[in-house]
Amino acid sequence: MPKKKKSQDDEFEEWKKSKQLLKPKDQLELADWEMKEPHARILLTHNPLKPDGLVEWSFAEGSFIPLHPPSNYVVALDIKGTLMHRLSPEGLAQLAGDTGLPAEDEEEKEEVEVEEGEQKLEEGEPKPAEVPAEAKPEDEEGEKGEEGAEGGEEGQPAEAAPPAEAEAKGDAEDDEEGKPSKPKKLTNQFNYSDRAAQTYNLPTRSQETQTIPPPKENFSSNVLQWIIYDDYLTDYNRQQAELELERLAREAQKAPITKHAPPPPKKSGGRAQLSEAVQARVAQCWKTLERMINQNINDEINKDYKYWDDPSDQYREEEGTLLPLWKFTYEKTRKHSVTDLQWSPWYYDLVAASLGYFDHMKPLDTGYLCLYSLKNPSYPEYICQTQSAVMTVDNHPDHPYMIVIGLYDGNTIVYNIQASCKTPAYKSDEVTQKHRGIVWDVTWRPDLPDGELNYYSIGADGNVNHWILLQTEMSVTTIITLCMDKEPLRGPDGTQVILKSTPSCIKFHPSNRDVFLVGTEEGLIYKCSTSYSATYLFTYRAHSLAVYRMDYNYFNSNIFVSGSADWRVKIWEDNRHEPLYVFDLGAFVGDVKWAPYSSTVLAAGTIDGKLSVFDLNISKYKPICIQAVVSKKKNKLTRIRFNQRFPIILVGDEKGMITALKLSPNLRVPCKPPKKMQHLDQTTLQIMKLDKLLSVVREPVVLERPPDPAASQATTK
Amino acid sequence: MAEEEQQPVVQETTKKTTHTYPLLRKSDMSEEAIQETMDLVVTACEKFAANNELAARMIKETMDKKYGPPFNVVVGEGYGFQITYETKNLLYMFFGGNLAILAWKC
Repeated sequence: MPKKKKSQDDEFEEWKKSKQLLKPKDQLELADWEMKEPHARILLTHNPLKPDGLVEWSFAEGSFIPLHPPSNYVVALDIKGTLMHRLSPEGLAQLAGDTGLPAEDEEEKEEVEVEEGEQKLEEGEPKPAEVPAEAKPEDEEGEKGEEGAEGGEEGQPAEAAPPAEAEAKGDAEDDEEGKPSKPKKLTNQFNYSDRAAQTYNLPTRSQETQTIPPPKENFSSNVLQWIIYDDYLTDYNRQQAELELERLAREAQKAPITKHAPPPPKKSGGRAQLSEAVQARVAQCWKTLERMINQNINDEINKDYKYWDDPSDQYREEEGTLLPLWKFTYEKTRKHSVTDLQWSPWYYDLVAASLGYFDHMKPLDTGYLCLYSLKNPSYPEYICQTQSAVMTVDNHPDHPYMIVIGLYDGNTIVYNIQASCKTPAYKSDEVTQKHRGIVWDVTWRPDLPDGELNYYSIGADGNVNHWILLQTEMSVTTIITLCMDKEPLRGPDGTQVILKSTPSCIKFHPSNRDVFLVGTEEGLIYKCSTSYSATYLFTYRAHSLAVYRMDYNYFNSNIFVSGSADWRVKIWEDNRHEPLYVFDLGAFVGDVKWAPYSSTVLAAGTIDGKLSVFDLNISKYKPICIQAVVSKKKNKLTRIRFNQRFPIILVGDEKGMITALKLSPNLRVPCKPPKKMQHLDQTTLQIMKLDKLLSVVREPVVLERPPDPAASQATTK
Repeated sequence: MAEEEQQPVVQETTKKTTHTYPLLRKSDMSEEAIQETMDLVVTACEKFAANNELAARMIKETMDKKYGPPFNVVVGEGYGFQITYETKNLLYMFFGGNLAILAWKC
C-alpha cells in the first residue's frame, strides 16, 4: 500500500487537492510518522486459529476425552482428477475393462424405474387437484416424483454407461481370450465435442415436361375354332379365285383372239374395278336410253325403212329410186373421208367405217375406225382412234370382233373391239414390217389349218403381204411384189431401178382360195396366185387410169366388175382380155359393187356424188337409177356398200358422212321362174339369168383359149 | 379314348381339307415387320407345338428384342380379347388351322 502511494504520489496529490476524501467517523487519526512506521508480518507454521485442548464427552466413560488435535492443513479446494496411474489398481482394472461400480448403478437404475412407474400411475389416475383433502399426499408424491425425475436425469448417463461398458467388457474378454498382453486402446467416452458444418444448399427448381403418348388403338375380337376354320376357308377360296383369274388373264393375254372369247374377267375386290363395273352398267343403261331416243327421233325413217316402198315404181317401167334413210356422222370425223365401208358379217345392222383422207394436199393427223349401228345413227358404237389416217377396213367373217385396218403410214392394225377399242390387239412393226406406202386394201382370209388368223394387205410400195396373227405378234410374208413388165430404168452409177406398179385394191376369188385380183393405179388388173410369187396368172389391161375397186359377182365367180378413174365401169369374165360390158359414167368411179341379191344388178358411185344402179337384165347401156346422194360442189362420194340381208346401200362421202339408202322395188326385182321350171330356187335362176346374158356377149375367139388351170377349178363350180 | 375321338374328326377334316398355312388376319405393321413376325410365329409355334405358353414366351421375348418392349403375345385356340395397342404394333394371325396368335405392343 505505501509503495503504491509513493509511486502515484504526484497524481494523487493533484487529485486529493481537488477532492475531499470521505472518512469513516471512527477512523484513527494517525500522525505522519505513525503512518510511515513499518510493521513487519511473519508467517509461521503455527496456526494461531487452531484450537488446542479439544475434548469430547463420552457417555461410556462418563468423562471428557481429549481429542486429537486437528491437523495443520486446511482443505481449501478439492477437485478430483480423472487421470489415474496406469500401474495403479484402478488403472489396471480399467485396462482390463473392469469398472468399479456395477452393483450400485444397477440398484439406482431399479429405483429410478420404480419411481417413474409410480409417477406414471399417479399421473394416469383421474384425480385432479380439485380435492383439497388429498392435496398433501399428492404434494408429497409430487416431490417424490421430482426427486425421481432428478434421479432419472442422473440415471441417464448411468444408463448410457452400461452398453459402453458391455462393449468394453466384450472386447476385453475377446482380448483376454485372444491377446491378453496387448494393452487395449481406450475410447474417450466423455471428452469430445460435436462439430458440425453445413455446405451451401443449391436452390432447387422443378421443371416438368410430358411427351405426346404414342398413338393407341383398340382392337377386339373373338377366337373360336369355327371362326378360324371359316376364315381359312374364305381365304383359301379367295386364293383359288385369284389363281383362276390369273390363269384366265394369262390365257387372255396369250390368245386375245380366241373364237369365243370368254367374258372379260371380273376381278374380285378393288374399288376401282367395282366402280368400273358400276360405270359399265350405268353406261349400258344410258345406251339403252340413247337407242330409245333415237328410235323416237327416227321413227318415220324406221318405218320407211321397214315398210315403205315407192308406190310410183308400179307405174314406172325399168326404173327405180333410192330413198335416203339415216345419215351417220361423228363430229370428230367431219373432215375425214370415208375410205372404206364394211358390214359386219355377224350383225346385219353394224357397219365398220374407216375414216381417212384421199386428198393428199390436205393431210389429217388422225384416223378413225367407227362402227355404226343402224339403230343409233347419232353416235358410233365403237370408236378406235389411230395416229394416222385409216385407209381401209375389213371385218373377219368368222370372228366379227376382229377388225383389221390399213393406215396411211403403211401400218396395219388389228383391233379386237370386244376387248378394247383403245389398244390394238396387234400392230405391225413400225420398222421391219410395215408397208413403205399407203395401205390401200386389207382383206381377211379363212383361218389357216392351225387356226391362226391371217389377212392380206396391199401397199403403195407394190407388195402384197400376208400377215399371220401369232400369240403376241404378227408374222409377215411378202406374197408378191408387183413389178411392171417394162424394162428397168437406168439409175445413177449404173444401178437399175425395177419399176413397181402401185396396187390399189385386192379381191380374192370367192371359191378359189389361192387366186386373187389386184387392181393397180396403172390401170392394170393382175390375176395372181398365192402360190407363185413372181408371175401373174393373167394380166388385164383394164383401164387407162387407176383401178379403184373391183368386185366379184356373188352368183358367178368368173365375172367381176372394176371401176376406175377413167370414168368407166367394166365387167370382165375370167381369162378374157376384153371386157363384156363397159359403162361410162362421166366421172371418177370411186366404187363399184355387185348387188348380193341379184346376179345382174350392180351399183357404182362416182365422185360427182351420184349413185348409179345398173341392171344388165333390163338395160345393157344405161343405169336404171341415177341419184345424187351428196352435193356435187361441196362433197364427193367415195365408197358404197350393199347390205347382205336388206335392200339397203350405204354411201360414204368426203365429209365423213355415211348415208343409208333404200333400194326401191324396181331395183331388186326377183327372177320369175319360167313356167316349165317352177321348182328352181332363186339362186339357180339368177345364175341362169346371168349366163343367158353372157352368152350373148361372149366372143367365140376367147372360148378357144386353153383353160387356165387355176381358173378351171372356179369354172367347174 | 382320345384316339377314338380324334379319328372321326380327322376324317371330316380331310374331307373338308383343313388349311394350316399362316393366315394373316389383321396387322398394321410394315410389310417387312409382318413378314418377319409371321416367320417368327411359325417358328415358335412349330417349335413348341404342344406348349402354347412357351411359344408365346418365345415370340414375346424375340419381339421385345427386335421391336422394343413391352410386347404382349397370346397364343391360343379359343379366347376373346379387347386390347389397346400402340399403332403400328399389332399382329393378329391364324396358324396351323386351330391357333390364333395375337401380338401387340402397349
